[in-house]
Amino acid sequence: MEEYIGMAASFLVAGVITGGMIILASTLGKKKPSAVKSDPFECGKDPFSLPGGRQAVRFYLIAILFILFDVELVFLYPWAVIYRELGVTGLVEMGIFLGILMVGYVYAWANGALKWQ
Amino acid sequence: MNIDIRDLALLAPELALIVTALVFILAAAWVQSSSLFSGLTVLAALIAGVASYLLLPADPITGFGEMIVVDDYSQFFKVVIASALAVVTLLSVSQADDERFRPAEYHALLLLAATGMMFAASAIDLLTLYLGLELTTLCSYILVGISVEKPASNEAAIKYFLTGSFASALLLYGIALTYGVTGGATGFVAISRALSSSDAGSSYILLAAIGLLIGGLAFKVAAVPFHAWAPDAYTGASAPIAAFLATASKAAGLAALGRVCIVAFQSESGVLSVVLSALAGLSIIVGSVIAPSPPDMKRLLAYSSIAHAGYALLGFIAGTTEGASATMTYAFLYVFMTLGAFGVVIALGERGGRLDGFQGLAAQRPGMAALMLLFLLSLTGIPPTAGFAAKFVVILSVVRAGNVTLAVVAVVCSVISAFVYLRVAVLMYMKEPTEPEPSRCPPAVSAALAVAALVTVIGGVLPGSLTSWAVAPDAVLTIMGVR
Repeated sequence: MEEYIGMAASFLVAGVITGGMIILASTLGKKKPSAVKSDPFECGKDPFSLPGGRQAVRFYLIAILFILFDVELVFLYPWAVIYRELGVTGLVEMGIFLGILMVGYVYAWANGALKWQ
Repeated sequence: MNIDIRDLALLAPELALIVTALVFILAAAWVQSSSLFSGLTVLAALIAGVASYLLLPADPITGFGEMIVVDDYSQFFKVVIASALAVVTLLSVSQADDERFRPAEYHALLLLAATGMMFAASAIDLLTLYLGLELTTLCSYILVGISVEKPASNEAAIKYFLTGSFASALLLYGIALTYGVTGGATGFVAISRALSSSDAGSSYILLAAIGLLIGGLAFKVAAVPFHAWAPDAYTGASAPIAAFLATASKAAGLAALGRVCIVAFQSESGVLSVVLSALAGLSIIVGSVIAPSPPDMKRLLAYSSIAHAGYALLGFIAGTTEGASATMTYAFLYVFMTLGAFGVVIALGERGGRLDGFQGLAAQRPGMAALMLLFLLSLTGIPPTAGFAAKFVVILSVVRAGNVTLAVVAVVCSVISAFVYLRVAVLMYMKEPTEPEPSRCPPAVSAALAVAALVTVIGGVLPGSLTSWAVAPDAVLTIMGVR
């Protein structure tokens, strides 16, 4: 159980600091409420609206392309960490991996997935 | 773990398929020639099949840090998968134009799905097994729904996707539990070693792990009670894709199941034989007796494939090498007779999709009717067709395992299933034609039918000639020093 003590301590410190900040800000801080300020915060969107509004389907395509490169990065990081131990084999394997991903990228590009019209 | 890049040579058949698929994907935007793509796919499948046969080693060779193995078992299934890929490609020559999808993507997905199946056949690690099967199913989801303009096709793809993802989750959960029970083993040999050396054998977690793994794999072979996706997916998909799912995909699932049961969990054969008996018995009963006789031919063949999954599983029940090679023989012969039956459905065009489309076919197209009769007799299991030889070996292996009840169930259900199959034959031969003669089918479809018919006849007349190299999956245990 000893190894969890450090974790518990860090949770405790984090809790005390954040809790303290919130309490201090809400008791000592000046308050000038307005309609806009009391809205729930949501990046530039109307927080209360009926569902059913339309989303362009292009966003989904962009999201899929994003995943393509995100997954690539996820695999590149651990490879970079043990790059020296893997040697030439690792380099060749990563080359094959990136090559296959590039085929997907070329496919998406050539078939107009990157055009925004 | 020592990984040598030269191990790639072991994967020559897979590489042939992957490289072709990647070239197709690159060319997709510029080349639209359906015949070019199907020609190259057949060529790649032939290269993969021949390479699989030529790579047949005397002793099993493992590669990539004991992630894959090349042995008689893997190469046998790779030849089956490659030939199914070639036949399905021939059967789908006119599909791209009829159903209006782009040929490059279709053929690339077929190639990648077959690659995944080959990986699954070669896998001796739960992770490579999972990756192979997942590559296959992900491509299959798209292939089922590739006719975007047909609502039935979209519906089938969604249903298949939802149930398929669930089965994949079961499989993964089983892998995770196995990893926990065996103290961190995912390789089949390591699992087998861990289970035979410890008392983990009695734990309930191990039972759960086995149940989840078998459940996930049973989904891939569409065995009852994991079969519900098959009739819908086959009906909604275009006929060549349904044929591909019913044959190659099922063969790959059987390959994976065999390796898991007979190599990884060989020490648990008592539990496995109970689970597999239940799966096989239920599949045979549901597929041939309880199944409704639907007006749709693809649905009829889907229920037939469920029953045949049950028969194929019979071989694994004994947990012996003889049993495993009986299942391999079954898989080989089943693949060709089912491809043949689907081939006739495709060759008859719109008429072939409906049961009443077969009415009076013998008067209009005697050759085609005779071929269909051959495949139907073979699916029923009547000598001297391949279906009889195939059923004979699996039922014999069940009898040898001492499970006479199951053998009787299998034989009785086989007789009952004759009503379903022979009803089509009665429609063809004993009814007057009511519809205009179907148009001639493309030469590629005829070639595919000829191959399927040839194997069905040879497999029946000279049983064992084609499948004498069907050998069990567990030789790898001997070379790894477990036995």
